[in-house]
Amino acid sequence: MPPPAGAATRRAFLRGVLAAAAAAALPRRGRALPAASTLEIGHVQHGGDWNPRPTALRRLSWELGRRTSIEPAAAAVPVRLGQPGLHRYPMLYLAGAGPLPPFSEAERAALRRFLQYGGFLLVDAADGSDGTGFDAGVRRELGQVLPAAPLAPVPREHVLYKSFYLLDRQGGRLLVKPWLEAQTLDGRAAVLYSQNDLGGAWARSELGEWEYPCTPGGEAQRETAFRVGVNVAMYALCTDYKDDAVHLPFIMRRRT
Amino acid sequence: MTPESAYYDAWRLTALTPLPRWALALLALAALAAVLLAWRGLRAEPRPGRRAALLALRTGTAILAVLLLVEPALELLRTARVRNRFAVLIDTSRSMRFPVEAGGSTREAAAASLLADHRRELSALADRVDVELYGFAGDVAPISPEAAEHGLPATGGKTDVLGALEALAAGAGGAAGSGRRLAGALVLSDGADNAALAQGVSPAAQARLRALGFPVNAVAIGRDAPRDLAVERVAADDFAFVRNKVTVEATLRARGFEGQEVQVVLRREGSVVASTSLKLERGRDTYLVPLTFSPDETGTFVFTVSTPVLPGEAFAENNSRSFVLRVIRDRVRVLLVAGRPSWDVRFLRGLLKQDPNVDLVSFFILRTNGDNPGPQDQLSLIPFPVAEIFGEQLHTFDAVFFVNFAYGPYRGLEIDRFLPNIRDYVRSGGALAMVGGEQSFGDGGYGDTPLAEVLPVQAVDGQPEAEVESRARLTTEGRQNPITALRPGEGASDALWAALPPVTAVNLTRPLGPGQGASVLLEAPAVQAEGRPAPLVAIRQVAQGRTLAVTTDASWRWGFLAAESGEGDRAYARFWNSALRWLVKDPALAPLQVEPDSPTVEPGVAVGLTVTAHGPDFGPATGRKVQAELVAEDGRSVAHGEAVVGQDGTARLELTPPGPGAYKVVSRAEGAADEATAAVAVRGSGPEDADAAPRPALLRAVAEATGGAFAAIPGGGMPRLTVNDPEVVEVGRRRAVPIWDRWWTLAGLACLLAAEWVLRRRWGYW
Repeated sequence: MPPPAGAATRRAFLRGVLAAAAAAALPRRGRALPAASTLEIGHVQHGGDWNPRPTALRRLSWELGRRTSIEPAAAAVPVRLGQPGLHRYPMLYLAGAGPLPPFSEAERAALRRFLQYGGFLLVDAADGSDGTGFDAGVRRELGQVLPAAPLAPVPREHVLYKSFYLLDRQGGRLLVKPWLEAQTLDGRAAVLYSQNDLGGAWARSELGEWEYPCTPGGEAQRETAFRVGVNVAMYALCTDYKDDAVHLPFIMRRRT
Repeated sequence: MTPESAYYDAWRLTALTPLPRWALALLALAALAAVLLAWRGLRAEPRPGRRAALLALRTGTAILAVLLLVEPALELLRTARVRNRFAVLIDTSRSMRFPVEAGGSTREAAAASLLADHRRELSALADRVDVELYGFAGDVAPISPEAAEHGLPATGGKTDVLGALEALAAGAGGAAGSGRRLAGALVLSDGADNAALAQGVSPAAQARLRALGFPVNAVAIGRDAPRDLAVERVAADDFAFVRNKVTVEATLRARGFEGQEVQVVLRREGSVVASTSLKLERGRDTYLVPLTFSPDETGTFVFTVSTPVLPGEAFAENNSRSFVLRVIRDRVRVLLVAGRPSWDVRFLRGLLKQDPNVDLVSFFILRTNGDNPGPQDQLSLIPFPVAEIFGEQLHTFDAVFFVNFAYGPYRGLEIDRFLPNIRDYVRSGGALAMVGGEQSFGDGGYGDTPLAEVLPVQAVDGQPEAEVESRARLTTEGRQNPITALRPGEGASDALWAALPPVTAVNLTRPLGPGQGASVLLEAPAVQAEGRPAPLVAIRQVAQGRTLAVTTDASWRWGFLAAESGEGDRAYARFWNSALRWLVKDPALAPLQVEPDSPTVEPGVAVGLTVTAHGPDFGPATGRKVQAELVAEDGRSVAHGEAVVGQDGTARLELTPPGPGAYKVVSRAEGAADEATAAVAVRGSGPEDADAAPRPALLRAVAEATGGAFAAIPGGGMPRLTVNDPEVVEVGRRRAVPIWDRWWTLAGLACLLAAEWVLRRRWGYW
């Protein structure tokens, strides 16, 4: 179990100072981009352990900036489902470890409206649970938010697996399920759910160490987790772009 | 015969008895019974003579008794014969202008000389019937004998033999003798019927001919079909889709030719769009010629199918046929190029993608030269086909969207080479929308490129986006333009825009000066560029094309962020949908429109035009002068008119084309650069000109079906005309002379009864 987020220790302070120095040294683009062009992820705060991997999104953002033309914001923004401003961040990240307390009806309605108008939600179970813990709570809440769109495995041929990288496996700190699940609205995956603790694979300390080992696949599994993260972000921003007919011949050639 | 009886010229037997019929029947039965009783009583009589005598006496008595009760009389009548009509129908359709035979006189002249030569026979008919002369084509009109003998102008566009006969039988044609029956008719025609008998005398047509009730005599004029090549018919839909294949099917009729190779050409207002060659064969009259093409622009156009005029052709005017085709879009084809994935392009693409009328082709730059995603073969990325989309295929798009897209940073792609092409595409009728971002407008370095010549704002190179929250504010033009006037009513759109979430970044641009066709519709009051609010949405008409500038990459906030409240994302969707419709020149948004009442008119008939004019505020341009002209295929203006727009925003004009052919309708409004166009075709040739072959067999069949006589010229003359006998009708008074009321009838009855009584007594029957 990782230490609670935000614990004020001398070690944490030292890590923060080093991280700031490292961030300044990273090869970034020449000038800061206006917020309108950046990918700023809303990190959903809920009544449970909502931030089990505090460094995960920052590292994913860094990888997005390194690998793609997406311009990510440096850090995710904590948001609450029931409070105004949710729609400022069309991509939300909902993570947790352990039980997920029920959402209020207002929170469910806000999330429902968010998704129906085009918002995207990535759900990441950090506790490796399957039928219990966070998994049980998430399934309960998602079922009530979009009762007409139950979670279903994302098929192998879904555009998500080719939105940037050509993927044929899953990544994460664990491999609880070798697939992602999705709730689909109007042909668009509005909610993606991973039980494999993607954040655990992305998490990297300020000192540059991976915070958790990936099992059973090791570093290859971690790289796949980043690729899944890149593809998920690409899918959130481009949806089914890679299903356009113009891409198919190229993709088919590389698949074979 | 007394003078009085000489007055009557007919008689008939009648009965004067007041007894009803049933009483007479009973009496007749009684008389029959009396005869039968007598016959029965005489069966045992061995002498046939006696038996016959007694039976004869009883029968005579019975007959005489019945006769007395019936009271027969002789009815004297005064009668007369009706003088019926005889109609001579002379074909005045245009096919009568063709020669009777090669090198001979015209069919109309032959008909006239036949009437002149046989005036005596027709005069002889006048003893029995009234001879009436009619000209017929599509309808029937009485003519004078003098006009008939001098030849009638063959101008009718149709030949309807059966229709003319039925109309006359019904009393049409303004006949003086209307109400009297026809005793017969004589048809002088080439038989080139193109109405009810076009396919010959069918059983139904035969029944209709018999129902006429009079014999139709016929003289078929004309022997040989003239040497002629005609475009008889063109089968085409009313509309076609732009860039989709269209096939029109031309029916050619060729007579008298063999082995010639002819080129069948389809032109759109003078420009050849399809052609094919055809070899004429002996013994074959009809050819179906498909002509396929892909219209490359929308609008209403006149198309003409034509063939060359071959040597010796009887009629050159039927070698072409025009029709009007409205070319519409099936789907708006949009190219969207995004410099990077962002929420702005994500929501815009989603909106375009869900529109079934939009065929969207997108390209996103997913990685830059500085990115390091790993081995290329593990990526789904494709090369950016710059030359293909900005070169060869550019003209196939109705609109191009640059969303936060810079032309410069891509090594090796040399997109700048294609910027002149994109500028020319716009000027020649394309549409370009530039959407903001840190790679757009001046930030993208467009200020000194060929695209700056067509953009609706002046991009300021070197000035980064202003990162300021700013709400959108309508300008005066924006309140009147359908792109940004999202709600009807004074101030409603202002309030709507003011309530939408602010944008968070604005590219700094300058509005263009007056006279360049540009308008700023929305501005960002919180962002100042050179001391005035920066343009946020601007449009421009550039030559034939249109451009749109949206100087922010945060327009998605007008949709998704606004949707967090109860308003939903309707404003965002409406703004972009209207912008796209404006860019691709949706006719419904054109400020000036002209529409002919009918796409095709007959020669000499005026073309009715409705011109609809909107002002800059898209309200009716009431009081504004509009003009319209007809432009012939060679570019000459052949008719011109002016009108003033009424309260409803429309003006009516009528222009008369000088003759058959295809005409472009061009309309302009006073003080406006826009012009509206339409097309109209004036029919050059109808079925009369297309197929003028004489059909003597048809007229023979008509004559035979009605019991009339038939002849054909050349070679024949006037046949021996068949005319129904006149009807006899009672016209004067009548008188009944009783027959029974004579002394000898009673005496005869008494004698017969007495003789039977005496003989019976003598021969021992009583």
